[in-house]
Amino acid sequence: MASLTEDPVLGINDIKEAEEETDKGTTQVVKTEEVGQSERDMAPVTGNSIHRSGSRPQLDLSKAAIQGNFEERDPTILLPNQSDDLSHLALDIGGSLIKLVYFSRHEDQSIDDKRKKTLKERLGISNGNRRSYPILGGRLHFVKFETHKINECLDFIYSKQLHRGGMDARIWNPDAPTNENSVIKATGGGAYKFADLFKERLGVSLDKEDEMNCLVSGANFLLKAIRHEAFTHMEGHKEFVQIDQNELFPYLLVNIGSGVSMIKVDGDGKFQRISGTNVGGGTYWGLGKLLTKCKSFDELLELSQLGDNSTIDMLVGDIYGGMDYSKIGLSASTIASSFGKAISENKELEDYSPEDISLSLLRMISYNIGQISYLNALRFGLKRIFFGGFFIRGHAYTMDTISFAVQFWSKGDAQAMFLRHEGFLGALGAFMSYEKHGLDDLMVHHLVERFPMGAPYTGGKIHGPPLGDLNEKISWMEKFVRKGTEITAPVPMAPPGTTGLGGFEVPSSKGGTLRSDASALNIGVLHLVPTLEVFPLLADPKMYEPNTIDLSDHGELEYWFTVLSEHLPDLVDKAVASEGGTDDAKRRGDAFARAFSAHLARLMEEPAAYGKLGLANLLELREECLREFQFVDAYRSIKQRENEASLAVFADLLMELDSMTEETRLLTLIEGVLAANIFDWGSRACVDLYHKGTIIEIYRMSRNKMQRPWRVDDFDVFKERMLGSGDKKPRPHKRALLFVDNAGADVILGMLPLARELLRRGTEVVLVANSLPALNDLTAMELPEIVAEAAKHCDILRRAAEAGGLLVDAMVSTLDDCKGNSSSVPLMVVENGCGSPCIDLRQVSSELAAAAKEADLIILEGMGRALHTNFNARFKCDALKLAMVKNQRLAEKLIKGNIYDCVCRYEPLS
Amino acid sequence: MQQTADQQVHNLIRGAGKAKGESGRAKMDIGNVESKQISEPIISEAQISHLALDIGGSLIKLVYFSTNSDSSSSSSSSKDSVAVSSGYEGRPVLEGKLHFAKFETAKINDCIDFIRSKQLRLSGCQKHGAPAGEKCTIKATGGGAYKYADLFKEKLGICLDKEDEMDCLVAGSNFLLKAVHTEAFTYMDGQKEFVQIDHDDLYPYMLVNIGSGVSMIKVDGPGKFERVSGTNVGGGTFWGLGRLLTKCKSFDELLELSQRGNNRVIDMLVGDIYGGMDYTKIGLSSTTIASSFGKAISDNKELEDYKPEDISRSLLRMISNNIGQISYLNALRFGLKRIFFAGFFIRGHAYTMDTIAVAVHFWSKGEAKAMFLKHEGFLGALGSFMSYEKHGFLNLKVHQLVQQSPVDAYHGGDKIHDPPNRELNENRSIDCSICLS
Repeated sequence: MASLTEDPVLGINDIKEAEEETDKGTTQVVKTEEVGQSERDMAPVTGNSIHRSGSRPQLDLSKAAIQGNFEERDPTILLPNQSDDLSHLALDIGGSLIKLVYFSRHEDQSIDDKRKKTLKERLGISNGNRRSYPILGGRLHFVKFETHKINECLDFIYSKQLHRGGMDARIWNPDAPTNENSVIKATGGGAYKFADLFKERLGVSLDKEDEMNCLVSGANFLLKAIRHEAFTHMEGHKEFVQIDQNELFPYLLVNIGSGVSMIKVDGDGKFQRISGTNVGGGTYWGLGKLLTKCKSFDELLELSQLGDNSTIDMLVGDIYGGMDYSKIGLSASTIASSFGKAISENKELEDYSPEDISLSLLRMISYNIGQISYLNALRFGLKRIFFGGFFIRGHAYTMDTISFAVQFWSKGDAQAMFLRHEGFLGALGAFMSYEKHGLDDLMVHHLVERFPMGAPYTGGKIHGPPLGDLNEKISWMEKFVRKGTEITAPVPMAPPGTTGLGGFEVPSSKGGTLRSDASALNIGVLHLVPTLEVFPLLADPKMYEPNTIDLSDHGELEYWFTVLSEHLPDLVDKAVASEGGTDDAKRRGDAFARAFSAHLARLMEEPAAYGKLGLANLLELREECLREFQFVDAYRSIKQRENEASLAVFADLLMELDSMTEETRLLTLIEGVLAANIFDWGSRACVDLYHKGTIIEIYRMSRNKMQRPWRVDDFDVFKERMLGSGDKKPRPHKRALLFVDNAGADVILGMLPLARELLRRGTEVVLVANSLPALNDLTAMELPEIVAEAAKHCDILRRAAEAGGLLVDAMVSTLDDCKGNSSSVPLMVVENGCGSPCIDLRQVSSELAAAAKEADLIILEGMGRALHTNFNARFKCDALKLAMVKNQRLAEKLIKGNIYDCVCRYEPLS
Repeated sequence: MQQTADQQVHNLIRGAGKAKGESGRAKMDIGNVESKQISEPIISEAQISHLALDIGGSLIKLVYFSTNSDSSSSSSSSKDSVAVSSGYEGRPVLEGKLHFAKFETAKINDCIDFIRSKQLRLSGCQKHGAPAGEKCTIKATGGGAYKYADLFKEKLGICLDKEDEMDCLVAGSNFLLKAVHTEAFTYMDGQKEFVQIDHDDLYPYMLVNIGSGVSMIKVDGPGKFERVSGTNVGGGTFWGLGRLLTKCKSFDELLELSQRGNNRVIDMLVGDIYGGMDYTKIGLSSTTIASSFGKAISDNKELEDYKPEDISRSLLRMISNNIGQISYLNALRFGLKRIFFAGFFIRGHAYTMDTIAVAVHFWSKGEAKAMFLKHEGFLGALGSFMSYEKHGFLNLKVHQLVQQSPVDAYHGGDKIHDPPNRELNENRSIDCSICLS
């Protein structure tokens, strides 16, 4: 791996000095580039570094930085290859909990070769890069510990070597001098209190950051950068709120920790603590502990689920003999006095059930916080109140109670909202107080939240950091399998239709609605991919919703759950086989199956656990899970086999096509794309089909069955745009983006001939493929090889590929000549920035975004990209969506048709 | 303040405050809440009439009128003296005292016995001019007026005429603030200061009645008011939680405990989080409570390991502070500068008043003032009593100058010198006259 040859890792300390080292850094980088390049020439294109697992590729991470004007850049970026994992750690040490946010950088060994360089030059993205943020791709991890178990926290930091810039730093460079003057950003009162302890145990100084400052910058970051961060929670119903950046301020931020702070936020760094209350999470826990002998906050919360507060609270009905005091708008079930019933009865503490006490306490405190918050919001005319802090911890009833209070007192004018990363505002803010944290300009599309697949999902445990070591992860899985314990994925509680009663009302439904792992992180690891961009050709990015199928419909979710579950055994077989079928592979396959099943099961219960859930997310989850267990490419051999088989008949197909008239050819090409799309390992129906014939047989059969009109058939409109009518010859498209789907026949017998036709007509063609494998989908790394093979049979393709720099590796010597005399429009390959069978066009690779700039035709092919997602997407240019529907339910739902029906949807720019 | 009696009171309180040191509890406010003991000598000499009740969730409050023993018209409260006259002229005038008594709602039978023993019902009934033996009616407010209506009917044979709770609170408060000069006072750092309120400048004000729960009422004039807010964290919460946590037998015992407690043992202070440093940037000193009961989290202590005194203190501060804060925020909404706190939670307890006052002062940055009422617990009962007037049955006139009972209490001096069975309530009686209609 190239990384082994790289220079020592930078510690956090070094970053601070990086500015002075700019010059040195530059030379180092240049040197690194040369080394890396020569190595990569030898390395297989599909280099499967373990560090790629789970993260999107950082395409232009290192080289773009070097070639750019580095004076504008953060010096830390100038040394991106200095370390593979460079961690920042920031802490929020509160009265009850310690929250950690740490950053680990995961760099991919991207195929940054000459081809890429040529491509970049052509697309104009190597220089004049408009980004000014540091290009630091990586992950943000969120972990918490109880403050009184601070030693666990110290151990955790030590074991991961977070105080020295990450574990990998130590492994790769054991001789690196440990810097005694390391500084870690910290906030919260404990930053003062435990400063000496950190110094003593870890040899690091805590650099204290202002608490309010941190809370606000954390909240501002989350509200701006995470799409599904804020949500309302009323009567058990959770709804995500899209907040327009321009309308975010001012808002009231209520942070409920041990105590409660209420902060009016007017902008970045502009805020004022206007109020607070000493009745907060510490009160709930403290009083609760004294009254119930619970051992933990979560135990106490859990108890409240089973409680009935009317046994201990004095209700209006208790005073009025069951009658409402409706005159002032109080119903009989209104709490007149929390714990008021404990007065008048001759009962001792022991006579009350801890459940009732806990609920009574919870309602008292939640309600009080809601009321005071609203009153303060009212003072300043703030309509939005965001509640954060660890008191809430995604607990449905707490949120309902607070929401109810806000709604009750505001008479519906103000709205309580909650944040998914509720407890981590301070820690995140502290993290952002690093001078060079790199999060400043991150936008929504730069962040990808991943399911915390690697975390140990043990019930009730307060900390759930991802297990770094795969072996550890598997052993953990196996341990649970042996114990017969069901694995539970860390998804929050909030079950459907529960505890809908907020504030005053007596809960009508109670039960085990709070999961035992309520405290487990209900947030994923945040992947920062600064290279991702919004696809520039989206007609209305704000309104764009990638998913065609909304999984908030439970029936729909159930269906896809079943589909994925049934497909699982086959997938595991493939995955294990792809890794040589070794015992190790089998172990991993087993662990993968269990982890994935567990996640599916939990998502069934709480679909909104990680924000709004669409089919695309579900399908991506599967791929991510495979990668988590280091199945780099489960379909590798299948893809290879099919590629070879298809290439073998490629020449024949071209001959057949070339013998046709222009008009027939165009139809045959589209038919071909649709027919070849039958080769899809993601479809159960097709997998069965494969056992019955050879590829070319199926392809021909499939094509012959293409009886027009197709279920959705805009071919004639498309044809007119391409060929014109009568004598009018239309102007060819300048550049077409072809989003390819499956490897094998799909791309070789379907999309490549279509690309060739476009090239022949003078249209530049950009083939857009996945960055990471997903099922048998083609990846951008595999594509050049295929094109090179195909080019052997076709002059058009060869010249275009040469012009597009695709053949540099194969024909280095002829490159210069070709450049000179080739008049062909180029054929290029870009990666789309994702590793899923679907594509979310809000987050695509920067090279795709760059390639899209001059494109005036988009062709989306395949179910994942043209149907499951983007079926309803509108573009700023002509768009052709081609797919064969290989799922009966989808066919019925989407096009009122049947399985194997075809979609040829052409949407010209109007 | 012009009155010598009041001046005396004032001085006495200061003295008491100094002498008692930081506990700062004004002696006047000590009382036997249970009021189980009935001071027989008082009633034996007086005719008692006109009873009104406020039956709350925790306490039953009584207001009744007794004629002075030397009053010439003492007989007029007897059955036959009640003329069904409709004219103003010649209506009898009763000189006497308004008395205040209270019982725990849980011990409602004590209250019924009390009423029966004093034959309070007799005169109350007559006001309706109903034939003897027919059903008697007395004014009552509070939720219990509904809940216990049957019980009163059954045990005493009287009907409770229900008066609206808020109406009564406001009427009682308006009456006191206008009629009794030394009714309202501020309390800061153990210093009690009576406030003279200009009758023309009384409205609008915020009335915060802290009973079991808390009602916050914006009062714009006689009979003109609106319940603008409230909180369920009130006196009932203090007592209820306190009972569970300390096994105290009474509210007053719990209050008493708080005098000797130290809330720092159990509250998480700003200093606890910041290692003893102030978080001055946002105006929090290290002794500010960051989280009530927050220290109970981290200590490996059980309930038994904490002193009841400390628990009581924490609880009291938590609730007082909270009420003060919410009250201020509501006063702010309506631009009300004066907030009067009343209700049985306060019961003249210095530390409670201090905490509430500090909360209002802190959050309003000195703009708003917390004020307290001497007859804090009896607003509802008094308002209920006033409703006789509203209905034209009587006319109440307070003799300002002879309202000397509090001074008597001070002459009574220390608790030790107080007869153990003496009712606090008697100390607060108001000399007045009643015109019967």
